[in-house]
Amino acid sequence: MPRLLGKYRGLLLPLLLVGGWEYLSRQDAAGAYAFVPLSSIGAALLELLGNGELLVNLAASLARTSSGLALGILFGVALGVWMALSPLANRLIGPLFHSIRQVPMLGWIPLIAMWFGNGEFSKVLIVTLAALYPMVLNTYQGFVHVEQRYREVAQVLVLSRPQQFVHVLLPAALPSIASGALQTLAFAWVTTVGSELFLSSGAGLGNLMMNAEAGSRMEVIMLSVLCIGLCGYLMNLLFTRLSRHLLRWRATR
Amino acid sequence: MNAIAQHAPPPPADTTLHSGALEIRGLSKAYRIEGQPLPVLEDINLKVRPGEFIGIVGASGCGKSSLLRLIVGLEAEYEGEILLDGKPVVGTSLERGIVFQDHRLFPWMSVGKNIALALKNHPLSQAEKDCLVAEHIALVNLEGFENAYPHQLSGGMAQRAAIARALINRPKVLLLDEPLGALDALTRVRLQHELQRIWVKQRCTVIMVTHDIEEALYLGDRVIVMDARPGRIKHEIKVDLAHPRERTSSLLQGYKEQLLDELVGH
Repeated sequence: MPRLLGKYRGLLLPLLLVGGWEYLSRQDAAGAYAFVPLSSIGAALLELLGNGELLVNLAASLARTSSGLALGILFGVALGVWMALSPLANRLIGPLFHSIRQVPMLGWIPLIAMWFGNGEFSKVLIVTLAALYPMVLNTYQGFVHVEQRYREVAQVLVLSRPQQFVHVLLPAALPSIASGALQTLAFAWVTTVGSELFLSSGAGLGNLMMNAEAGSRMEVIMLSVLCIGLCGYLMNLLFTRLSRHLLRWRATR
Repeated sequence: MNAIAQHAPPPPADTTLHSGALEIRGLSKAYRIEGQPLPVLEDINLKVRPGEFIGIVGASGCGKSSLLRLIVGLEAEYEGEILLDGKPVVGTSLERGIVFQDHRLFPWMSVGKNIALALKNHPLSQAEKDCLVAEHIALVNLEGFENAYPHQLSGGMAQRAAIARALINRPKVLLLDEPLGALDALTRVRLQHELQRIWVKQRCTVIMVTHDIEEALYLGDRVIVMDARPGRIKHEIKVDLAHPRERTSSLLQGYKEQLLDELVGH
């Protein structure tokens, strides 16, 4: 029994929160408005599942987040590697990159909307850019800080440049790249929902929330928030598992 | 497990295949620290016969490690000449292997992969490479640890793996930069034994830098004593004793006292 408790310890705090929420919702009319009862959130879940609205919007947001993440990680790693391996590229791109990344992501939305409209392309672009910055920085750091002693071994074994990259530099930089990817994940959902709120066209959990706000449907907003939280948690779990597998060669602390 | 060293008859030394005559002439090296030249090696002259085991001892800062880095080709700027079989050394090469004090195995590769990486640019078939790797893992007594990651090994085991990685290319010259310096006393004695056994079997030219006078005498055909600031050769002792040797030999004791005098006296 104690072992079972230990396994589900992570659920304790959420359950307490849910209990407190339900308690507050039952106090008075104002409480019932601000803290919608769990039963109405449940009813909203059944309703939106029934008419397909939830799945359509969830799928749209999930697709946006994943493609933005994938593109951001891909281009971010590529750019980071290029800047780390070519001093010329670093000198050319570095200053521009470091000044552009000071502009908060949401600050780009009006500009991107003017240039590319408020369609799918703009939204994925925003998520991609948000993922790009931490990926470039972490990849660059990872490659630049490969220990000299390992580089020397590569030299002693007379490895070619591509061999050095595959067998020495990339694996040595992988922990840094993986931590970049984990950071990126947190930004990805923020920017996905942000872009959906600002560029309110098409489907998405952000759009669902906007419409629910217009119709004063608190329970639908809550449902959306819960969906985002759950998706973010699951993706985080997936990434953590994946990076733990890729970095299984590291001594566990 | 080290009994083999005493009982195995020395196999015929394959010196025709393994040349490896090293000649160093007037070698000087200086680093630049804040624009000021800092001499680390001054006028080093050394001739090493093929298959000879040279031990180099000396106080820290005498440039012994720098000497090895120059021979292996990790340092480019120097004065003088370094010749291997009459040809000047240029950059790194698989003809010259090195084992560092820190094993420097890549932590992201298993022991087997680490050793196999040294064969990356050999025109051998995969089967031949696998065979060589297995052979060298056996040579350093690491059977069963092929798939272990370096962090799962003890210091002594990791250093054995590093020795296998350096030997698998059959280098003409093997450079050992205090390879046993970070190990505990017992493991060190055991590995000295193993090094002797391996060297008797392979007979490549070895230059070993060490802090340990006994180690240098036990393993070396010649022991070079270096002086510091700037590093230069001060003295040389020829250890006239066949391999494999007994650690307790009275001859070694005599040499040891002579060397201690050399290093501590005056």
